[in-house]
Amino acid sequence: MNKRVYIICKNLIIMIFKSLYFVKHNFILGLSSTLLGFFFSGCALNDRMSTFDYKGPVAKIQYDLFMVTVYVCLILFIIVAAALAWAVVKYRARKGDENKPMPKQGHGNPLVEVGLIGGSILMLVVIAVPTVNAIWYTHQMPKDDQSSHLISWYPNTQDIPSGEEDSVLIIRATGYQWWWTFEYPQFGIRTANEMVIPKGKTVRIELRAADVIHSFWFPKFAGKVDLIPGRNNWMWIQADHEGHYYGQCAEFCGEAHAYMLIRSDVVNEMDFANWVQHQTTPAPLPKERSLASEGKKLFVTKTCVQCHRVDGHGYESLVGPDLSHIASRKSIGAGILENIRDDLPTKDYSGSSKFASAEHMIDPEKLRKNLFEWVRYSQKYKPGNLMYYPANGLRNLDERGDFTDEDVHKIVDYLMTLK
Amino acid sequence: MATTLPIPETTTVLKPQKSDLGWTRPDHKTGIVDWLTTTDHKKIGIMYGCFALFFLIVGGVEALMIRIQLAVPQNSFVSATTYNQLFTMHGTTMIFLAVMPINAAFFNFIMPLQIGARDVAFPRMNTFGLWTLLAGGIILNISWFFQFANAFGWFAPADGRLEIAPAGGWFGYAPLSATQYTGIGTNFWILGLQVLGISSLAGSFNFIVTIINMRAPGMKMMRLPVFTWMTLITSFLLIFALPAIAVALAELQFDRYFNTNFFKVEMGGQPILWQHLFWIFGHPEVYILILPTMGIVSEILPTFSKRPLFGYPIIVFSGAVIGFLGFAVWSHHMFATGLGKYATAAFSLLTMAIAVPTGVKIFNWIGTLWGGRITFSIPMIYSLAFVWMFMMGGFSGIMHSSAPADAQQTDSYFVIAHFHYVLIGGSLLSIIAGLYYWFPKVTGKMMNLKLGKWYAFLIIAGLNITFFPMHWLGLNGMPRRTHTYQAGFGWETWNLVCSIGAMVLGIGIFLVVLDVFISARRGKLAAKDPWDGRTLEWTTSNPPPHYNFARTPIVKGKDSFFIHKYGQSKDKIEFEGEDAHGIHMPSNSWMPMISGICFTIFGVALALMPSGVIPGMGWLAVITLVGACIPLFLWALEGPGGYHLHVKKDNNLATNS
Repeated sequence: MNKRVYIICKNLIIMIFKSLYFVKHNFILGLSSTLLGFFFSGCALNDRMSTFDYKGPVAKIQYDLFMVTVYVCLILFIIVAAALAWAVVKYRARKGDENKPMPKQGHGNPLVEVGLIGGSILMLVVIAVPTVNAIWYTHQMPKDDQSSHLISWYPNTQDIPSGEEDSVLIIRATGYQWWWTFEYPQFGIRTANEMVIPKGKTVRIELRAADVIHSFWFPKFAGKVDLIPGRNNWMWIQADHEGHYYGQCAEFCGEAHAYMLIRSDVVNEMDFANWVQHQTTPAPLPKERSLASEGKKLFVTKTCVQCHRVDGHGYESLVGPDLSHIASRKSIGAGILENIRDDLPTKDYSGSSKFASAEHMIDPEKLRKNLFEWVRYSQKYKPGNLMYYPANGLRNLDERGDFTDEDVHKIVDYLMTLK
Repeated sequence: MATTLPIPETTTVLKPQKSDLGWTRPDHKTGIVDWLTTTDHKKIGIMYGCFALFFLIVGGVEALMIRIQLAVPQNSFVSATTYNQLFTMHGTTMIFLAVMPINAAFFNFIMPLQIGARDVAFPRMNTFGLWTLLAGGIILNISWFFQFANAFGWFAPADGRLEIAPAGGWFGYAPLSATQYTGIGTNFWILGLQVLGISSLAGSFNFIVTIINMRAPGMKMMRLPVFTWMTLITSFLLIFALPAIAVALAELQFDRYFNTNFFKVEMGGQPILWQHLFWIFGHPEVYILILPTMGIVSEILPTFSKRPLFGYPIIVFSGAVIGFLGFAVWSHHMFATGLGKYATAAFSLLTMAIAVPTGVKIFNWIGTLWGGRITFSIPMIYSLAFVWMFMMGGFSGIMHSSAPADAQQTDSYFVIAHFHYVLIGGSLLSIIAGLYYWFPKVTGKMMNLKLGKWYAFLIIAGLNITFFPMHWLGLNGMPRRTHTYQAGFGWETWNLVCSIGAMVLGIGIFLVVLDVFISARRGKLAAKDPWDGRTLEWTTSNPPPHYNFARTPIVKGKDSFFIHKYGQSKDKIEFEGEDAHGIHMPSNSWMPMISGICFTIFGVALALMPSGVIPGMGWLAVITLVGACIPLFLWALEGPGGYHLHVKKDNNLATNS
């Protein structure tokens, strides 16, 4: 239990006792003193998935709109709550009132009513106008200027036509129970669970679902858009600051919904070009008679190959997450087991270029340990997660009974070479 | 809880008639047989209330288990599947088995009294609604027992899936509700909701006919107490909204049982169709939960501030507008599904529009207090808290209505904060207000008002401690319906606070429910008109005799009892003379309960059928479905029943004025 929790608990208990004292004397005062305590407790604005800490234009316009609604509601709240409080205090029954005549039995005042209705409609218009504006903004891809055309980003790729529609980067995100595939059709890249995007570049994300409905959410880039089977949803985002970002599936999608996490790296132009180069080049085959090469054989005999693709190694199944460059990812199992070094200083890796590079962030020992745990006991970390078993086919068994620890180590050795 | 007082002046002049089949309908007025066969709207109301309070506790326990699991990151108090079942059943139970039935309890008990009627229009249909409610509740919750049986190794469905209690969420989105993604729990969920829909429809038609046809003379529509108005509007909402979910559930069931392709995308079906059908029901459902409780508050605020409701016609009209607009905003639950910009904008603006009639109600409630003489009795404390908390829930609702802002908020804890402020801060607080307010009417006794103040404090403080931080959690990126979360996202502190608050809230609600049952036995005897009431229900004795009014009152205006007490002589309530044949009262009937039992077995058997564990379930389902329908026919053949009473004029009014 961290220190903040302790302090909050302590304050809470003190507050409750104070309020209990008040409630004996004055109910309203006691209650409001309890409530006020919460308004002034500290909250950090740059947590990993904070919507306040926007890092792109879509998230920004959504945040700005949210603040408009907050201010409008705050004004209304102050007026209405003050009127309510005033009425309750002013018109409370006092001693001796019983003998006075009944209060005036008025039935309402049409002018007051119409005025209040008109007033509230006006307040809503204040919200409505920027709302419609923002709906159009988030639904319309901005046109990139030609100087940032993809060819200028990655001149060696032949496949990119020079049409205007290709001035944006297209990523096809597909949701599965409970992981993601990211494809970059313009570059022929296919990867899983971690998405790399260039800083300042408009990205069109095409959202597809393979089984049930999922929802794509990077709070710092943009709000949610669902991935629905049979529908071609899309969204656009733009990330203005380099760094490592956190996201998550936001639509209930079954047993391990809580563990359907996504990560994203935002890198600069140069690094993105390098990343594309790296992804389009298969990882080298392991050396003959090394542990890794034995692991590669086990990868086939222990049926990993049934589902997982490793680019350039002859494994092309698209059922499970793509493992082509798994050793350069910052997490295993769709964000559950993080490979990030423990000594990195901050809880938030967004907005800083130094957190974008894999070499800087990944702790190889942690990666090895995580891979081992995942291959051996994936069920423990993601309940319901399916793996292929030679005897049973796709199942969610608690442990890989068909593996010895030694086998797993060899497979991990092989996976570690897939940089 | 005895409700029937001895009526010495009564003489039965007409024996119950024998039916065409040679039967006599039961006419017990005491004992267990009476409770099982009763057609008395008051007894039915009490049973509705008891079931609802029971399920409120069940749903509350589920909620607390959810909060224990989320108190610390990576907790393993329950497994992921169990957690999913808990939040599914928590939502389903609270909506369909706690708040809706308790509203129905108030409709049943209070509404006929408020309009000066002796019973509802269709007494047996009323009983039928009660037993089908219980049937639905049992079908839904019996799944837990099969889940436990599975844990002990006694019950293993053939599909090998462990979602034996429903685990697809109360919204049951396709395609997650398909057979390859969830187990037989979804069957229990479908059949439970379907049967509960029958119950609600039976009740709603009954209330509508009652309110339109059975008002006492002089009780014009625009003199109806607001609670009765909201009963009427809610009933209309139900009969228009429920067909949508009945269709959706039937389609889903066909997909699961008969391999149809309504929602199967691989066969050209459309999962999004489910969402449209569900929310066309689901959004009016929100108003079905809140409108009756707005009615309750609209009764209590005038009573305790000694002023008539400010702008009565506007309150009634805005209730109707809310009901009407409630059908035009369903897609705001689907802003993230890619509706396109025009639909998104339209539903965004319509959702903002619905804030206007809701705001009008709040203004009018404050207008009612303004210039009054406010006494802070327990019902009033809850009602004032209702206005305050509901207003806060309304503001977060306005924030949701702005679609781009909602894109960040939807499916996050911000939404949970919003609708719990509306449903606990709104519905539940005012339901408790109604419990305290009408308890003397129902039982003739008072609830414990001294301790009640402390309970109110626990509940209101607990509510805010639990749900206010959730606004922050949602904006800080915490998604909904996740069985756990990782440390390091800034969610740990506030989740712990929420969990502590939930315990406080849970204890408060439990104590109130406990107090209901204790006070019903040992409460202080209530005065005849304990709150200086304004409406007709306070003109009869506490509890009312089973015929409600010895002579039908002739109503002279709005707030008829209040103007009778404090108005001019022309406002005094008069009474119709006694008919030569006396008061005609309905007989009891076994048929609704038999039908309800058959519905229960039908639902359970049909839900279990695909599990393949117990043979013959399909046939049992067919037989019991027929068995559920036969009593409805026998109902017509068991004869009109009924008996006549001659009652001396009661003098409640004389003692009060």
